[in-house]
Amino acid sequence: MLVTWRYRERNSLIQGFDPSAWFIFYFCFVISTLFFWDVRFLAFFAIIALVVVLRSGITFRESRRTWLFIGAFITFFALLTFLTGRGGVEVYVEEHILRTYQAGFEIFGWRPTLNISAERIIFALGQLARVFSLASTTILIPYSINPAHYGVAFRRLGLPDKIAYAMDLTMRFIPTFGRDFQLTMDAQKARGYELEKLQGGLIAQVRKLAPILVPVTIRAISGSEDIIDAMDLRAFGTGPRTWLIQLNYRPRDYALMAFGVAVLFGSLGLSLFGYGQFWVPPALLKLAM
Amino acid sequence: MNGTKPTSVALSLIAVLVVFILVAWLGPSLNPDLQLDETALLRFVFVAIGLLIVFAVYWFTRQNAAWTVGTREVVYMAIGAALYAVFSYLFNGTVFVVPSVSQVSLRPAISIPMFFGYAFGPVVGFFTGAVGNMFGDALTGFGLSPQWSVANGLVGMISGMAALYIDKKKAMNSVLYISTGLAAVATLLWIFNRDLSNMMFFDPDAGIFGDATISAFAGLSAVVGFVLVLLVRMFFKDNVDLASAVIWSMLGNFIGIGFAALSDIWINGFSPSVAIVGEFLPAAGPNMIFAAILVPLLVGAYNSVQRQTGR
Repeated sequence: MLVTWRYRERNSLIQGFDPSAWFIFYFCFVISTLFFWDVRFLAFFAIIALVVVLRSGITFRESRRTWLFIGAFITFFALLTFLTGRGGVEVYVEEHILRTYQAGFEIFGWRPTLNISAERIIFALGQLARVFSLASTTILIPYSINPAHYGVAFRRLGLPDKIAYAMDLTMRFIPTFGRDFQLTMDAQKARGYELEKLQGGLIAQVRKLAPILVPVTIRAISGSEDIIDAMDLRAFGTGPRTWLIQLNYRPRDYALMAFGVAVLFGSLGLSLFGYGQFWVPPALLKLAM
Repeated sequence: MNGTKPTSVALSLIAVLVVFILVAWLGPSLNPDLQLDETALLRFVFVAIGLLIVFAVYWFTRQNAAWTVGTREVVYMAIGAALYAVFSYLFNGTVFVVPSVSQVSLRPAISIPMFFGYAFGPVVGFFTGAVGNMFGDALTGFGLSPQWSVANGLVGMISGMAALYIDKKKAMNSVLYISTGLAAVATLLWIFNRDLSNMMFFDPDAGIFGDATISAFAGLSAVVGFVLVLLVRMFFKDNVDLASAVIWSMLGNFIGIGFAALSDIWINGFSPSVAIVGEFLPAAGPNMIFAAILVPLLVGAYNSVQRQTGR
Protein backbone atom coordinates (compact mmCIF):
# COMPACT_ATOMS: atom_id res chain seq x y z
CA MET A 1 0.00 0.00 0.00
CA LEU A 2 1.34 3.41 -0.95
CA VAL A 3 1.72 6.01 1.76
CA THR A 4 1.36 9.57 0.52
CA TRP A 5 2.98 12.87 1.40
CA ARG A 6 0.86 15.31 3.38
CA TYR A 7 -0.31 17.21 0.34
CA ARG A 8 -3.60 19.08 0.17
CA GLU A 9 -4.97 22.12 -1.64
CA ARG A 10 -3.94 25.20 0.34
CA ASN A 11 -4.24 28.17 -1.99
CA SER A 12 -0.58 28.87 -1.26
CA LEU A 13 2.14 30.75 -3.13
CA ILE A 14 3.69 27.56 -4.54
CA GLN A 15 0.32 26.18 -5.59
CA GLY A 16 -0.37 29.40 -7.45
CA PHE A 17 2.24 28.38 -10.01
CA ASP A 18 2.61 25.56 -12.51
CA PRO A 19 4.65 22.73 -10.84
CA SER A 20 7.27 22.60 -13.62
CA ALA A 21 7.68 26.41 -13.42
CA TRP A 22 8.16 26.03 -9.68
CA PHE A 23 10.74 23.24 -10.16
CA ILE A 24 12.72 25.46 -12.57
CA PHE A 25 12.64 28.31 -10.06
CA TYR A 26 13.61 25.93 -7.25
CA PHE A 27 16.64 24.53 -9.12
CA CYS A 28 17.82 28.05 -10.05
CA PHE A 29 17.33 29.17 -6.44
CA VAL A 30 19.24 26.23 -4.92
CA ILE A 31 22.15 26.51 -7.37
CA SER A 32 22.35 30.30 -6.89
CA THR A 33 22.55 29.92 -3.11
CA LEU A 34 25.71 27.84 -3.50
CA PHE A 35 27.57 30.72 -5.15
CA PHE A 36 27.76 32.86 -2.01
CA TRP A 37 29.20 33.01 1.49
CA ASP A 38 28.55 36.75 1.96
CA VAL A 39 25.80 36.99 4.58
CA ARG A 40 24.26 40.03 2.80
CA PHE A 41 23.74 37.99 -0.36
CA LEU A 42 22.57 34.97 1.61
CA ALA A 43 20.05 37.18 3.43
CA PHE A 44 18.41 37.84 0.04
CA PHE A 45 17.87 34.10 -0.45
CA ALA A 46 16.77 33.58 3.16
CA ILE A 47 14.15 36.33 2.78
CA ILE A 48 12.77 34.72 -0.39
CA ALA A 49 12.67 31.37 1.44
CA LEU A 50 10.93 32.97 4.42
CA VAL A 51 8.28 34.57 2.20
CA VAL A 52 7.65 31.20 0.53
CA VAL A 53 7.38 29.49 3.94
CA LEU A 54 5.00 32.11 5.35
CA ARG A 55 2.84 31.97 2.23
CA SER A 56 2.89 28.15 2.04
CA GLY A 57 -0.40 27.74 3.90
CA ILE A 58 1.14 24.89 5.90
CA THR A 59 0.32 25.06 9.57
CA PHE A 60 3.04 24.42 12.14
CA ARG A 61 0.86 21.69 13.59
CA GLU A 62 0.91 19.57 10.42
CA SER A 63 4.62 20.08 9.70
CA ARG A 64 5.84 20.20 13.29
CA ARG A 65 8.07 17.10 13.15
CA THR A 66 9.72 18.19 9.93
CA TRP A 67 10.43 21.69 11.21
CA LEU A 68 11.76 20.39 14.50
CA PHE A 69 14.13 18.07 12.65
CA ILE A 70 15.30 20.75 10.21
CA GLY A 71 15.51 23.35 13.00
CA ALA A 72 17.60 21.07 15.19
CA PHE A 73 19.81 20.17 12.23
CA ILE A 74 20.44 23.78 11.20
CA THR A 75 20.99 25.01 14.77
CA PHE A 76 23.26 22.12 15.69
CA PHE A 77 25.60 22.64 12.74
CA ALA A 78 25.65 26.44 13.00
CA LEU A 79 26.30 26.29 16.75
CA LEU A 80 28.96 23.64 16.35
CA THR A 81 30.77 25.70 13.74
CA PHE A 82 30.51 28.76 15.94
CA LEU A 83 31.85 27.05 19.04
CA THR A 84 34.69 25.17 17.37
CA GLY A 85 35.49 27.53 14.50
CA ARG A 86 36.41 24.53 12.34
CA GLY A 87 33.72 24.70 9.65
CA GLY A 88 34.69 28.07 8.23
CA VAL A 89 38.38 27.47 7.74
CA GLU A 90 37.84 27.02 4.00
CA VAL A 91 36.46 30.54 3.57
CA TYR A 92 38.54 32.61 6.01
CA VAL A 93 42.12 32.33 7.21
CA GLU A 94 42.37 35.07 9.84
CA GLU A 95 40.21 35.50 12.95
CA HIS A 96 39.57 38.74 14.86
CA ILE A 97 38.89 37.76 18.45
CA LEU A 98 36.11 39.75 20.16
CA ARG A 99 35.87 37.90 23.46
CA THR A 100 37.62 34.98 25.09
CA TYR A 101 35.96 32.91 27.78
CA GLN A 102 37.97 30.47 29.85
CA ALA A 103 36.52 27.81 32.10
CA GLY A 104 37.45 28.04 35.75
CA PHE A 105 38.69 24.43 35.80
CA GLU A 106 41.18 22.25 33.99
CA ILE A 107 40.83 18.76 32.54
CA PHE A 108 44.19 16.93 32.53
CA GLY A 109 45.97 20.28 32.21
CA TRP A 110 43.69 21.53 29.43
CA ARG A 111 41.52 24.58 30.20
CA PRO A 112 38.41 24.73 27.96
CA THR A 113 38.47 28.08 26.11
CA LEU A 114 35.89 29.66 23.86
CA ASN A 115 37.16 32.26 21.41
CA ILE A 116 34.40 34.39 19.92
CA SER A 117 35.64 35.98 16.73
CA ALA A 118 33.96 38.28 14.21
CA GLU A 119 34.50 35.66 11.50
CA ARG A 120 32.87 32.88 13.52
CA ILE A 121 29.75 34.95 14.24
CA ILE A 122 29.27 35.99 10.63
CA PHE A 123 30.07 32.56 9.25
CA ALA A 124 27.52 30.96 11.61
CA LEU A 125 24.90 33.49 10.50
CA GLY A 126 25.73 32.82 6.86
CA GLN A 127 25.48 29.10 7.42
CA LEU A 128 22.11 29.53 9.14
CA ALA A 129 20.80 31.60 6.23
CA ARG A 130 22.17 29.23 3.62
CA VAL A 131 20.91 25.97 5.13
CA PHE A 132 17.55 27.52 6.03
CA SER A 133 17.10 28.69 2.42
CA LEU A 134 17.95 25.27 0.99
CA ALA A 135 16.11 23.13 3.52
CA SER A 136 12.91 25.13 3.85
CA THR A 137 12.26 25.45 0.12
CA THR A 138 12.92 21.72 -0.28
CA ILE A 139 10.62 20.44 2.47
CA LEU A 140 7.71 22.53 1.19
CA ILE A 141 7.61 20.62 -2.11
CA PRO A 142 5.91 17.40 -0.90
CA TYR A 143 3.37 19.44 1.09
CA SER A 144 2.56 21.75 -1.78
CA ILE A 145 2.82 19.95 -5.12
CA ASN A 146 0.11 17.53 -6.08
CA PRO A 147 1.66 14.02 -6.37
CA ALA A 148 -0.42 13.52 -9.53
CA HIS A 149 1.52 16.38 -11.12
CA TYR A 150 5.06 15.11 -10.49
CA GLY A 151 5.35 13.04 -13.66
CA VAL A 152 3.83 15.55 -16.03
CA ALA A 153 5.90 18.34 -14.46
CA PHE A 154 9.16 16.43 -14.98
CA ARG A 155 8.05 15.64 -18.55
CA ARG A 156 7.56 19.34 -19.20
CA LEU A 157 11.08 19.94 -17.93
CA GLY A 158 12.25 17.94 -20.96
CA LEU A 159 12.87 14.53 -19.39
CA PRO A 160 11.91 11.50 -21.51
CA ASP A 161 8.57 9.89 -20.61
CA LYS A 162 10.11 6.90 -18.87
CA ILE A 163 12.55 8.93 -16.82
CA ALA A 164 9.81 11.43 -15.90
CA TYR A 165 7.59 8.58 -14.76
CA ALA A 166 10.47 7.00 -12.82
CA MET A 167 11.03 10.34 -11.04
CA ASP A 168 7.31 10.49 -10.30
CA LEU A 169 7.34 6.98 -8.83
CA THR A 170 10.50 7.73 -6.81
CA MET A 171 8.81 10.66 -5.07
CA ARG A 172 5.74 8.53 -4.39
CA PHE A 173 7.73 5.59 -3.03
CA ILE A 174 9.86 7.55 -0.53
CA PRO A 175 7.18 7.89 2.21
CA THR A 176 6.07 4.29 1.63
CA PHE A 177 9.57 2.91 2.16
CA GLY A 178 10.04 5.19 5.14
CA ARG A 179 6.97 3.55 6.67
CA ASP A 180 8.22 0.06 5.69
CA PHE A 181 11.55 0.79 7.35
CA GLN A 182 9.80 1.76 10.57
CA LEU A 183 7.58 -1.36 10.49
CA THR A 184 10.58 -3.61 9.89
CA MET A 185 12.51 -1.85 12.60
CA ASP A 186 9.64 -2.33 15.08
CA ALA A 187 9.30 -6.00 14.12
CA GLN A 188 13.02 -6.61 14.59
CA LYS A 189 13.04 -4.71 17.89
CA ALA A 190 10.26 -7.00 19.11
CA ARG A 191 12.73 -9.84 18.46
CA GLY A 192 15.44 -8.08 20.50
CA TYR A 193 17.31 -6.30 17.71
CA GLU A 194 18.79 -2.89 18.65
CA LEU A 195 20.14 -0.79 15.80
CA GLU A 196 21.25 1.94 18.17
CA LYS A 197 23.48 -0.47 20.08
CA LEU A 198 25.45 -2.22 17.36
CA GLN A 199 28.38 -4.02 18.93
CA GLY A 200 31.31 -6.12 17.79
CA GLY A 201 33.96 -5.53 15.17
CA LEU A 202 33.46 -3.72 11.90
CA ILE A 203 32.36 -6.81 9.96
CA ALA A 204 30.01 -7.90 12.75
CA GLN A 205 28.45 -4.42 12.80
CA VAL A 206 27.92 -4.44 9.05
CA ARG A 207 26.35 -7.90 9.17
CA LYS A 208 23.97 -6.70 11.89
CA LEU A 209 22.57 -4.08 9.52
CA ALA A 210 21.29 -6.82 7.23
CA PRO A 211 18.10 -7.61 9.27
CA ILE A 212 16.91 -4.08 8.41
CA LEU A 213 18.32 -3.50 4.96
CA VAL A 214 17.53 -6.83 3.31
CA PRO A 215 13.84 -7.23 4.31
CA VAL A 216 12.95 -3.64 3.36
CA THR A 217 14.67 -3.99 -0.02
CA ILE A 218 13.29 -7.42 -0.90
CA ARG A 219 9.81 -6.45 0.25
CA ALA A 220 9.95 -3.41 -2.05
CA ILE A 221 11.04 -5.51 -5.01
CA SER A 222 8.54 -8.30 -4.51
CA GLY A 223 5.77 -5.77 -3.96
CA SER A 224 6.57 -4.08 -7.25
CA GLU A 225 5.15 -6.91 -9.37
CA ASP A 226 1.62 -5.55 -9.00
CA ILE A 227 2.75 -2.12 -10.16
CA ILE A 228 4.63 -3.60 -13.13
CA ASP A 229 1.60 -5.68 -14.12
CA ALA A 230 -0.73 -2.68 -13.82
CA MET A 231 1.58 -0.58 -15.99
CA ASP A 232 2.01 -3.35 -18.58
CA LEU A 233 -1.76 -3.85 -18.78
CA ARG A 234 -2.06 -0.15 -19.62
CA ALA A 235 0.57 -0.61 -22.36
CA PHE A 236 3.16 1.52 -20.62
CA GLY A 237 6.10 2.36 -22.84
CA THR A 238 4.71 0.94 -26.08
CA GLY A 239 4.38 4.38 -27.63
CA PRO A 240 4.59 8.09 -26.83
CA ARG A 241 2.90 8.64 -23.50
CA THR A 242 -0.08 10.89 -23.01
CA TRP A 243 -0.74 12.42 -19.62
CA LEU A 244 -4.18 12.66 -18.06
CA ILE A 245 -3.45 16.09 -16.70
CA GLN A 246 -2.52 18.97 -18.99
CA LEU A 247 -0.50 21.76 -17.43
CA ASN A 248 -0.39 25.14 -19.13
CA TYR A 249 1.94 28.00 -18.39
CA ARG A 250 0.26 31.28 -17.49
CA PRO A 251 1.96 34.69 -17.53
CA ARG A 252 2.81 34.36 -13.83
CA ASP A 253 4.60 31.05 -14.54
CA TYR A 254 6.72 32.67 -17.23
CA ALA A 255 7.48 35.51 -14.79
CA LEU A 256 8.56 33.05 -12.09
CA MET A 257 10.81 31.13 -14.47
CA ALA A 258 12.31 34.38 -15.80
CA PHE A 259 12.96 35.51 -12.21
CA GLY A 260 14.64 32.20 -11.35
CA VAL A 261 16.85 32.27 -14.45
CA ALA A 262 17.72 35.94 -13.82
CA VAL A 263 18.72 35.12 -10.22
CA LEU A 264 20.87 32.23 -11.45
CA PHE A 265 22.70 34.20 -14.15
CA GLY A 266 22.94 37.24 -11.86
CA SER A 267 24.52 35.07 -9.17
CA LEU A 268 26.92 33.52 -11.65
CA GLY A 269 27.89 36.94 -12.98
CA LEU A 270 28.40 38.42 -9.51
CA SER A 271 30.42 35.39 -8.51
CA LEU A 272 32.65 35.73 -11.59
CA PHE A 273 33.30 39.38 -10.74
CA GLY A 274 34.38 38.35 -7.27
CA TYR A 275 31.26 39.43 -5.35
CA GLY A 276 29.64 37.29 -2.69
CA GLN A 277 32.81 35.92 -1.06
CA PHE A 278 32.94 35.75 2.72
CA TRP A 279 32.48 39.22 4.23
CA VAL A 280 32.64 40.56 7.78
CA PRO A 281 31.17 44.00 8.69
CA PRO A 282 34.09 46.44 9.26
CA ALA A 283 32.32 47.72 12.40
CA LEU A 284 32.57 44.25 13.91
CA LEU A 285 36.26 44.02 13.06
CA LYS A 286 36.88 47.30 14.89
CA LEU A 287 35.56 45.71 18.08
CA ALA A 288 38.33 43.12 17.93
CA MET A 289 40.66 42.95 20.92
CA MET B 1 17.47 4.10 -23.45
CA ASN B 2 14.59 3.75 -25.86
CA GLY B 3 12.62 6.89 -26.55
CA THR B 4 15.47 9.22 -25.67
CA LYS B 5 17.62 11.32 -27.99
CA PRO B 6 21.13 10.40 -26.90
CA THR B 7 22.95 12.60 -29.41
CA SER B 8 21.06 15.69 -28.26
CA VAL B 9 21.89 14.81 -24.64
CA ALA B 10 25.58 14.53 -25.56
CA LEU B 11 25.46 17.80 -27.51
CA SER B 12 23.90 19.56 -24.51
CA LEU B 13 26.67 18.26 -22.25
CA ILE B 14 29.34 19.35 -24.70
CA ALA B 15 27.64 22.77 -24.85
CA VAL B 16 27.96 23.03 -21.05
CA LEU B 17 31.67 22.29 -21.31
CA VAL B 18 32.11 24.83 -24.14
CA VAL B 19 30.37 27.50 -22.06
CA PHE B 20 32.69 26.68 -19.16
CA ILE B 21 35.79 26.90 -21.35
CA LEU B 22 34.56 30.29 -22.60
CA VAL B 23 33.99 31.46 -19.03
CA ALA B 24 37.44 30.23 -18.01
CA TRP B 25 38.96 31.93 -21.07
CA LEU B 26 37.08 35.24 -20.97
CA GLY B 27 36.58 35.44 -17.20
CA PRO B 28 40.08 36.65 -16.29
CA SER B 29 39.70 39.61 -18.67
CA LEU B 30 36.63 40.68 -16.63
CA ASN B 31 38.08 39.87 -13.23
CA PRO B 32 41.85 39.27 -12.98
CA ASP B 33 41.39 37.62 -9.56
CA LEU B 34 38.87 35.12 -10.85
CA GLN B 35 39.11 31.80 -9.03
CA LEU B 36 36.75 29.35 -10.70
CA ASP B 37 36.85 27.00 -7.72
CA GLU B 38 35.15 29.73 -5.67
CA THR B 39 32.22 30.09 -8.06
CA ALA B 40 30.55 26.67 -7.60
CA LEU B 41 30.57 26.51 -11.40
CA LEU B 42 33.10 23.68 -11.44
CA ARG B 43 30.65 21.34 -9.73
CA PHE B 44 28.38 21.50 -12.74
CA VAL B 45 31.29 21.10 -15.15
CA PHE B 46 32.09 17.80 -13.46
CA VAL B 47 28.44 16.80 -13.69
CA ALA B 48 28.74 17.28 -17.46
CA ILE B 49 32.02 15.34 -17.57
CA GLY B 50 30.51 12.48 -15.52
CA LEU B 51 27.45 12.34 -17.75
CA LEU B 52 29.67 12.34 -20.83
CA ILE B 53 31.51 9.30 -19.41
CA VAL B 54 28.13 7.59 -18.96
CA PHE B 55 27.14 8.56 -22.48
CA ALA B 56 30.42 7.28 -23.97
CA VAL B 57 29.99 3.89 -22.27
CA TYR B 58 26.42 3.71 -23.54
CA TRP B 59 27.36 4.80 -27.06
CA PHE B 60 30.05 2.17 -27.53
CA THR B 61 27.85 -0.64 -26.20
CA ARG B 62 24.45 0.63 -27.31
CA GLN B 63 23.56 -2.54 -29.24
CA ASN B 64 23.55 -4.51 -26.00
CA ALA B 65 20.14 -5.43 -24.54
CA ALA B 66 21.33 -4.36 -21.09
CA TRP B 67 20.52 -0.75 -22.02
CA THR B 68 16.88 -1.48 -22.83
CA VAL B 69 14.45 0.30 -20.52
CA GLY B 70 11.05 -1.38 -20.20
CA THR B 71 8.29 -1.19 -17.61
CA ARG B 72 10.19 -3.40 -15.18
CA GLU B 73 13.29 -1.20 -15.35
CA VAL B 74 11.28 2.00 -14.83
CA VAL B 75 9.73 0.60 -11.65
CA TYR B 76 13.06 -0.74 -10.37
CA MET B 77 14.71 2.61 -11.06
CA ALA B 78 12.11 4.28 -8.88
CA ILE B 79 12.30 1.65 -6.13
CA GLY B 80 16.10 1.76 -6.08
CA ALA B 81 16.28 5.56 -5.96
CA ALA B 82 13.61 5.79 -3.25
CA LEU B 83 15.28 3.11 -1.12
CA TYR B 84 18.69 4.74 -1.51
CA ALA B 85 17.23 8.12 -0.53
CA VAL B 86 15.45 6.71 2.53
CA PHE B 87 18.46 4.69 3.72
CA SER B 88 20.83 7.63 3.12
CA TYR B 89 18.53 9.86 5.15
CA LEU B 90 18.25 7.36 7.98
CA PHE B 91 21.85 6.13 8.16
CA ASN B 92 23.91 9.23 7.34
CA GLY B 93 24.19 10.24 10.95
CA THR B 94 20.97 12.21 11.11
CA VAL B 95 18.46 9.70 12.46
CA PHE B 96 20.48 6.59 13.38
CA VAL B 97 24.15 7.16 13.99
CA VAL B 98 25.88 4.11 12.61
CA PRO B 99 29.12 3.88 14.58
CA SER B 100 32.45 4.58 12.94
CA VAL B 101 35.46 2.37 13.49
CA SER B 102 38.95 3.81 13.50
CA GLN B 103 38.05 6.81 11.34
CA VAL B 104 36.00 4.67 8.96
CA SER B 105 32.44 5.95 8.77
CA LEU B 106 29.83 3.46 7.66
CA ARG B 107 27.42 4.16 4.80
CA PRO B 108 25.45 0.94 4.40
CA ALA B 109 23.09 2.59 1.91
CA ILE B 110 25.75 2.38 -0.83
CA SER B 111 24.92 -1.32 -1.20
CA ILE B 112 21.57 -0.29 -2.76
CA PRO B 113 22.90 1.22 -6.05
CA MET B 114 25.45 -1.61 -6.21
CA PHE B 115 22.77 -4.28 -5.88
CA PHE B 116 20.21 -2.58 -8.14
CA GLY B 117 22.87 -1.98 -10.79
CA TYR B 118 24.00 -5.57 -10.75
CA ALA B 119 20.52 -7.12 -10.57
CA PHE B 120 18.65 -4.87 -13.02
CA GLY B 121 21.25 -3.36 -15.32
CA PRO B 122 23.36 -0.23 -15.75
CA VAL B 123 20.50 2.20 -16.41
CA VAL B 124 18.70 1.16 -13.22
CA GLY B 125 22.01 1.32 -11.34
CA PHE B 126 22.85 4.80 -12.58
CA PHE B 127 19.38 6.17 -11.83
CA THR B 128 19.34 4.56 -8.38
CA GLY B 129 22.69 6.08 -7.43
CA ALA B 130 22.30 9.51 -8.96
CA VAL B 131 18.64 10.28 -8.21
CA GLY B 132 18.69 8.47 -4.86
CA ASN B 133 21.67 10.51 -3.70
CA MET B 134 20.00 13.72 -4.87
CA PHE B 135 16.76 12.96 -3.00
CA GLY B 136 18.71 11.74 0.05
CA ASP B 137 20.60 15.05 0.20
CA ALA B 138 17.35 16.95 -0.22
CA LEU B 139 15.69 15.02 2.62
CA THR B 140 18.53 15.76 5.02
CA GLY B 141 18.87 19.39 3.99
CA PHE B 142 22.53 18.92 3.02
CA GLY B 143 22.04 21.07 -0.08
CA LEU B 144 23.42 20.07 -3.44
CA SER B 145 26.56 18.14 -4.38
CA PRO B 146 25.74 17.31 -8.00
CA GLN B 147 29.14 15.81 -8.80
CA TRP B 148 28.70 13.36 -5.91
CA SER B 149 25.27 12.41 -7.26
CA VAL B 150 26.83 11.57 -10.63
CA ALA B 151 29.58 9.67 -8.80
CA ASN B 152 26.98 7.58 -6.97
CA GLY B 153 25.30 7.02 -10.33
CA LEU B 154 28.60 5.73 -11.71
CA VAL B 155 28.85 3.28 -8.79
CA GLY B 156 25.45 1.82 -9.77
CA MET B 157 26.07 1.91 -13.51
CA ILE B 158 29.43 0.15 -13.38
CA SER B 159 28.02 -2.47 -10.99
CA GLY B 160 25.46 -3.15 -13.71
CA MET B 161 27.97 -3.41 -16.54
CA ALA B 162 28.36 -7.11 -15.77
CA ALA B 163 25.23 -7.50 -17.91
CA LEU B 164 27.15 -6.26 -20.96
CA TYR B 165 29.30 -9.39 -21.02
CA ILE B 166 28.29 -12.88 -22.11
CA ASP B 167 31.18 -14.65 -20.40
CA LYS B 168 30.62 -13.44 -16.85
CA LYS B 169 33.49 -15.39 -15.37
CA LYS B 170 36.09 -14.00 -17.78
CA ALA B 171 34.79 -10.45 -17.34
CA MET B 172 34.77 -10.87 -13.58
CA ASN B 173 38.40 -11.97 -13.51
CA SER B 174 39.45 -9.03 -15.71
CA VAL B 175 37.62 -6.65 -13.35
CA LEU B 176 39.37 -8.28 -10.41
CA TYR B 177 42.80 -7.57 -11.97
CA ILE B 178 41.89 -3.94 -12.67
CA SER B 179 40.60 -3.49 -9.12
CA THR B 180 43.76 -5.06 -7.71
CA GLY B 181 45.78 -2.40 -9.51
CA LEU B 182 43.53 0.43 -8.31
CA ALA B 183 43.56 -0.77 -4.67
CA ALA B 184 47.34 -1.15 -4.80
CA VAL B 185 47.95 2.33 -6.24
CA ALA B 186 45.65 4.01 -3.70
CA THR B 187 47.22 2.13 -0.78
CA LEU B 188 50.75 2.87 -1.97
CA LEU B 189 49.84 6.56 -2.10
CA TRP B 190 48.73 6.31 1.53
CA ILE B 191 51.97 4.59 2.54
CA PHE B 192 53.94 7.51 1.08
CA ASN B 193 51.55 10.15 2.54
CA ARG B 194 50.66 8.83 5.98
CA ASP B 195 50.55 12.26 7.60
CA LEU B 196 47.62 13.51 5.49
CA SER B 197 44.22 14.23 7.03
CA ASN B 198 41.15 12.05 6.69
CA MET B 199 38.78 14.50 4.96
CA MET B 200 35.79 12.18 5.39
CA PHE B 201 36.09 11.79 9.15
CA PHE B 202 34.10 14.04 11.46
CA ASP B 203 33.88 13.68 15.21
CA PRO B 204 32.14 16.81 16.51
CA ASP B 205 32.39 15.69 20.15
CA ALA B 206 36.18 15.75 19.84
CA GLY B 207 36.20 18.91 17.72
CA ILE B 208 37.46 17.02 14.65
CA PHE B 209 36.17 18.22 11.29
CA GLY B 210 38.02 16.27 8.64
CA ASP B 211 41.41 17.36 9.97
CA ALA B 212 42.58 14.27 11.88
CA THR B 213 45.59 12.41 10.49
CA ILE B 214 44.41 9.35 8.63
CA SER B 215 44.47 6.19 10.78
CA ALA B 216 46.18 2.98 9.66
CA PHE B 217 42.83 1.19 9.36
CA ALA B 218 41.32 3.94 7.20
CA GLY B 219 44.47 3.99 5.06
CA LEU B 220 44.34 0.24 4.61
CA SER B 221 40.55 0.07 4.22
CA ALA B 222 40.79 -0.46 0.45
CA VAL B 223 43.06 -3.47 1.05
CA VAL B 224 40.78 -4.78 3.82
CA GLY B 225 37.76 -4.39 1.52
CA PHE B 226 39.64 -5.96 -1.37
CA VAL B 227 40.64 -8.99 0.74
CA LEU B 228 37.01 -9.42 1.81
CA VAL B 229 35.87 -9.28 -1.81
CA LEU B 230 38.55 -11.81 -2.72
CA LEU B 231 37.34 -14.11 0.08
CA VAL B 232 33.79 -13.88 -1.28
CA ARG B 233 35.15 -14.73 -4.75
CA MET B 234 36.96 -17.78 -3.38
CA PHE B 235 34.19 -18.91 -1.04
CA PHE B 236 31.54 -18.67 -3.76
CA LYS B 237 33.74 -19.85 -6.62
CA ASP B 238 30.89 -21.94 -8.08
CA ASN B 239 28.32 -19.17 -7.70
CA VAL B 240 29.44 -16.85 -10.49
CA ASP B 241 26.35 -14.66 -10.08
CA LEU B 242 27.13 -13.79 -6.49
CA ALA B 243 30.89 -13.39 -6.92
CA SER B 244 30.36 -11.29 -10.03
CA ALA B 245 27.97 -8.95 -8.15
CA VAL B 246 30.57 -8.27 -5.48
CA ILE B 247 33.48 -7.79 -7.87
CA TRP B 248 31.63 -5.45 -10.25
CA SER B 249 30.37 -3.50 -7.24
CA MET B 250 33.98 -3.09 -6.15
CA LEU B 251 34.99 -1.66 -9.53
CA GLY B 252 31.93 0.63 -9.55
CA ASN B 253 32.88 1.88 -6.11
CA PHE B 254 36.50 2.52 -7.13
CA ILE B 255 35.58 4.42 -10.29
CA GLY B 256 32.54 6.28 -8.92
CA ILE B 257 34.11 7.48 -5.68
CA GLY B 258 37.41 8.01 -7.52
CA PHE B 259 35.64 10.33 -9.96
CA ALA B 260 34.18 12.42 -7.11
CA ALA B 261 37.47 12.52 -5.20
CA LEU B 262 39.50 13.49 -8.28
CA SER B 263 36.98 16.20 -9.18
CA ASP B 264 37.80 17.82 -5.82
CA ILE B 265 41.33 18.45 -7.08
CA TRP B 266 39.77 21.24 -9.16
CA ILE B 267 36.60 21.99 -7.16
CA ASN B 268 38.19 22.27 -3.70
CA GLY B 269 41.80 22.77 -4.77
CA PHE B 270 43.02 19.51 -3.16
CA SER B 271 46.36 18.06 -4.19
CA PRO B 272 46.09 14.65 -5.94
CA SER B 273 47.49 12.88 -2.87
CA VAL B 274 44.97 14.61 -0.57
CA ALA B 275 42.14 13.69 -2.94
CA ILE B 276 43.19 10.02 -3.09
CA VAL B 277 44.46 9.46 0.45
CA GLY B 278 42.29 11.90 2.39
CA GLU B 279 39.04 11.52 0.50
CA PHE B 280 38.99 8.47 -1.80
CA LEU B 281 40.41 5.85 0.57
CA PRO B 282 38.24 6.61 3.65
CA ALA B 283 35.11 6.66 1.46
CA ALA B 284 35.80 3.85 -1.02
CA GLY B 285 37.42 1.44 1.47
CA PRO B 286 34.43 1.03 3.81
CA ASN B 287 32.08 0.91 0.82
CA MET B 288 33.91 -2.23 -0.31
CA ILE B 289 33.19 -3.84 3.03
CA PHE B 290 29.50 -3.27 2.33
CA ALA B 291 29.99 -4.61 -1.19
CA ALA B 292 31.52 -7.76 0.27
CA ILE B 293 28.92 -8.35 2.99
CA LEU B 294 25.58 -6.74 2.16
CA VAL B 295 25.53 -7.12 -1.64
CA PRO B 296 25.84 -10.95 -1.49
CA LEU B 297 23.04 -11.07 1.09
CA LEU B 298 20.82 -8.93 -1.16
CA VAL B 299 21.65 -10.99 -4.26
CA GLY B 300 20.99 -14.23 -2.37
CA ALA B 301 17.65 -12.99 -1.03
CA TYR B 302 16.64 -11.67 -4.46
CA ASN B 303 17.51 -14.99 -6.14
CA SER B 304 15.27 -16.77 -3.63
CA VAL B 305 12.40 -14.40 -4.42
CA GLN B 306 12.97 -14.97 -8.14
CA ARG B 307 12.83 -18.73 -7.68
CA GLN B 308 9.63 -18.41 -5.64
CA THR B 309 7.80 -16.12 -8.04
CA GLY B 310 9.26 -17.49 -11.26
CA ARG B 311 9.96 -13.95 -12.57
